[in-house]
Amino acid sequence: MNSNTAKALIGVAVVGVAIVLLIVLKNGGSDTSATTKGVTTIVVKNGEPVGGIAQLTYNKGEEVRFKVDSDVSDEVHMHGYDIMKDVKAGGSVSFGFPATIEGVFEAELEGRKEQILELTVNP
Amino acid sequence: MSSILPVAHALVARKDLPVPAWLFAWAASIVLIVSFFALSVGWRTPRFERDRWRPLAAWPSRALLAPPAQVLYGALGVFLLGVAVYAGLRGTEAPDRNFALTFLYVTTWLGFPLFSVFFGDVFRPFNPWRAVGRVVGGGFTALAGQRPAHLRYPEKLGRWPAALGLLAVVWLEIVYGASGGVAVGLDPHAAALAAVLYSGYTLAMMAFFGVEQWCRTGEVFSVYFGMFGTLGCFGVKDGRLGVRRPFAAATRWATVPGSAAVVIASIASTSFDGAQEGAFKGALESTFNRLVDAGVGLTSALRLTDTIFMLLCFAGVGLVYTIGVRGMAGVPGAPSFKKLRTGFAHTLIPIAFAYLVAHYFSLFVFQEQAQFTYLLSDPLGTGTTDLFGTASSGIDFRLLGANAIWYVQVGALVVGHVLGLTLAHDRATAYWGDYRQATRSQYWMLAVMVAFTCFGLYLLSVANA
Repeated sequence: MNSNTAKALIGVAVVGVAIVLLIVLKNGGSDTSATTKGVTTIVVKNGEPVGGIAQLTYNKGEEVRFKVDSDVSDEVHMHGYDIMKDVKAGGSVSFGFPATIEGVFEAELEGRKEQILELTVNP
Repeated sequence: MSSILPVAHALVARKDLPVPAWLFAWAASIVLIVSFFALSVGWRTPRFERDRWRPLAAWPSRALLAPPAQVLYGALGVFLLGVAVYAGLRGTEAPDRNFALTFLYVTTWLGFPLFSVFFGDVFRPFNPWRAVGRVVGGGFTALAGQRPAHLRYPEKLGRWPAALGLLAVVWLEIVYGASGGVAVGLDPHAAALAAVLYSGYTLAMMAFFGVEQWCRTGEVFSVYFGMFGTLGCFGVKDGRLGVRRPFAAATRWATVPGSAAVVIASIASTSFDGAQEGAFKGALESTFNRLVDAGVGLTSALRLTDTIFMLLCFAGVGLVYTIGVRGMAGVPGAPSFKKLRTGFAHTLIPIAFAYLVAHYFSLFVFQEQAQFTYLLSDPLGTGTTDLFGTASSGIDFRLLGANAIWYVQVGALVVGHVLGLTLAHDRATAYWGDYRQATRSQYWMLAVMVAFTCFGLYLLSVANA
């Protein structure tokens, strides 16, 4: 390969890298995690979460806290952390545990196999 | 109407965090720089076309290939398949508590590619259908006094049955399994039934075409795991175990027609699985809603949507590869399009493996903890047995942090990219006498590889987003 071709290739590579960086800088800003403070309440009506699956994001080491108000009787299963708590129809149940495991986890109404929460724990 | 698209992996209680933007930028930049650097430092004569096989000492050959050893490994394969089928039929319906699903779809489906890329075709001795087929064939020969006669395998069909079978295996788990309107996975009962049906089909095909012929071209697991095995450094020749140059055996793998379809099916199905909760989520939802509005039932609409997108992935990956090959065919001194299409298919094997690692590495690490603890002690998941005293242990999700997973994912894609480029460059020097034209032809394969690798990185960066 002659030196002109090599220069041209390096040029193309640099332009490619610049494009990638531009794209990332443009989109990357929104990536900061919005840590939810206080207690979020997930309302379950007719066995389904009102307003869709709740989203909670924490950083590792923080305390995860949420409450489930349910009009059906079931067991709430926080997967990954493997915490299970029963809830009676018309009752509510509270969760509070340290965010020790990184990843994305589901909480569901175990009997109905209905997902009510997606918990994200960032490093 | 806007239904929530129910997608979830049956076995996963935990999903990976998306690769952060800064890591994506670094990895993509490294890929581009490495690629262009590779173009300028390439060697001029092929180095992988001959695998330089040399025999190992006699004892490892005997330990692996002596008749009693072969009977033992085959019997083990049959036994484990039997356990999986039994657990699937008789055990719990909960996919994560039943031995069958983790054994079939994680330990076997992901484990064999992992070991094969390092050690060669390790599935072959354990292949339960090959073992049964050989016993039946041997019995026939002993009773009838002649070897069983077989039909001539249609050469043109090549590995297409294996490619379609591969899509079907993945389809069963991630399309058929993710159904029912709620986030449940493939029912272990269905997995066991599928295994029984597949066994019947495979044994019938072996009876028609011969055990070895069918393993070489049609039997999904032999072809698929064997494909990764060509990257590994051990191989058997004339009944003897030997060591060979890593990656070199791959250069001869794609000579059977339809081989390109197998590796494309692998990349496509992994892409689909990776994209369904991230990159494709919006498109899947709108197609799903459109089908539901048109009066299709929820379950059928979901399966139909997923099937369409999985086939689109297959077509898309195939199209990118075909464009690359078309481009190469235009470079002066190029062999025919057909020869190029076959001749460069093996360069995608490292990419296919990198995709597997990127998407399933954490699943494998976490799920194997289940496999070797509670699923082994309580294979039926009914809570009534505790064979090894490990029935009550669980998966430790703290074993791998997000950072470790990200680095493995991105590292796998970059390494796969470099290996793919290496194999492609080597093949080009074999096909083009003129070094300058060989390098020119590789602009095209480089574009193909960059497309696949950056798409892979993109999938990781938007997963679950």
